[in-house]
Amino acid sequence: MSASGTFDRPRFLWVVTGLTLAFLFVPVVVVTVFSFNSSASLTSLDGASLRWYRAFFDDVDLLASLRLSVVIALVSSVASVVLGTLVAVGIRRGTRFIGGPTNGSVFLRVLTPETATGVALLLLFTQLGIPLSTTTVVISHTVLCLAFVAVVVGSRLALLSPQIEEAAMDLGATRLHAFRLVALPVLWPSIVAAGLLAFVISFDNFITSFFTSGLGVPPLPVRIYGMLKFGVTPVVNAIGVLMLVGTVVAVGLAALLAAQVRRLRGAQLEEAARG
Amino acid sequence: MEPIQGGLASSRRQWTALLLPGSVTLAALFLVPLGMLVVYSFGTTDIVGRPQLGLTLDNYRLVFQGYNASVVVRTVEYALVATACCLVLGYAVAYTAARFAGRWGGAIVGLVTVSWLVDYLVRIYAWKQLLSDGGFVNQTLDRLGLAPVSLTGTSLAVVAGLVYGYLPLMVLPLYASLKDLDPSVIDAGKDLFGNPRQTFLHVTLPATRQGVIGGCLLVFLPVLGDFATAQFLGGPSNTMIGNIISDQFVASGSQTFGSALAVTLIVLLVLCVAITAVAQRGRGRVTEVLP
Repeated sequence: MSASGTFDRPRFLWVVTGLTLAFLFVPVVVVTVFSFNSSASLTSLDGASLRWYRAFFDDVDLLASLRLSVVIALVSSVASVVLGTLVAVGIRRGTRFIGGPTNGSVFLRVLTPETATGVALLLLFTQLGIPLSTTTVVISHTVLCLAFVAVVVGSRLALLSPQIEEAAMDLGATRLHAFRLVALPVLWPSIVAAGLLAFVISFDNFITSFFTSGLGVPPLPVRIYGMLKFGVTPVVNAIGVLMLVGTVVAVGLAALLAAQVRRLRGAQLEEAARG
Repeated sequence: MEPIQGGLASSRRQWTALLLPGSVTLAALFLVPLGMLVVYSFGTTDIVGRPQLGLTLDNYRLVFQGYNASVVVRTVEYALVATACCLVLGYAVAYTAARFAGRWGGAIVGLVTVSWLVDYLVRIYAWKQLLSDGGFVNQTLDRLGLAPVSLTGTSLAVVAGLVYGYLPLMVLPLYASLKDLDPSVIDAGKDLFGNPRQTFLHVTLPATRQGVIGGCLLVFLPVLGDFATAQFLGGPSNTMIGNIISDQFVASGSQTFGSALAVTLIVLLVLCVAITAVAQRGRGRVTEVLP
């Protein structure tokens, strides 16, 4: 590394990286610090307190929204993981006739801004006379997440050579058996990752929920939007911190679980190879 | 054991059966609604404002007229600037993480991901808190003895908010493609070109093209449709397409005009993808650029 210039000089890059990370984290830090502020001020710190967390947990409406968001995220992530994984497998292995257009739709769904698909779904529901409700939100989230799951699982599947499965079939396995024994163990981590991504996308989703939720209890992000529209309140800081901690813990647990499963699978496979 | 002869066609049919539930879902709840947008974008509204089928170009005339046209142009400008900023910053972060940070690389990417996990609206709110009159930035300026500046309600605040909101989506695909790049390729480039700038432009950048395109699409396209950032950080002169669209559907607007705006948004998207596809011709398929 004799030649030096801005393009390959770690120090310069480290500075830009540090500043960028600071740019990303200053607002996070501000939210966290002010969530513990004892006064309603959003500019000056007046001693630490858990006032805004208490305010959150005392607010029946906010808790109802939180519960609703968790339920929506659970249902739509499970539904989208099942549908999306099947789609990913079908696109790779099935006939081009349906696989091609489906692949195109998945690709387009990932790229289309949610504002466009959100109002499109709103139009569909209102024109069909379907009242907006939690069900319409779950349906809309499922379609959104399905495409992301199909992309994540599909990209892993693309790296998998079908010849290994064929070899398993030559050794007497049925097609389903071969898929379960050969492909699924390899796909498993990406399926878990896709499910996690689906959960996060759904739980944090604002735009699609905004257009497809009805007059009842709104999902948490839609509720936050309402709060922001009517002026700022420090409770939002506390909600933000709780949501962040919740998501990070969920992601961490799932990552640990995935690692555990992988280790177990690895041990099993090794045993099978030896036996 | 399954018969080997003729097994391929029948197995393809079996795999296709797996596809059907998802295909039907996508068709019914993605393609059909998009089709309805297109159909109603040529429609009219009745006295109560309900959309009626029709065959008029009035909605599109409205899109490309005076104020609305300027909003469309502004949206594209904001999205281009925000994407360019994300690309420069994102590349630096991804490059550092993939090339120089060793095992800290994963930690850097992890930090970027964590910042993305903060709720979208809470992040916008945090910016509002920082930039508002009497907010953190202005207080600091005040303490330093400098005159306060009005930061919210400016293009700068909106673009910074957009960059902040979507930067992680740029870093992740770039990191993935830089991680895949064999470092010896860069060393070979250095032997060939000598100077790092040339090496970067002729070797590193082209080799990570997939990540660059993927990241740019993942930032540019959602930014085109964003409306909460401009609503909370911008003023009346920073409106984006998304704001007008959401007003048409959620406030008492014209849903047919909103449909025409949404179709305009989708046409912009298709244009981007088409340009990418042409640029990528003979260099692998567009679908491969996604992470």
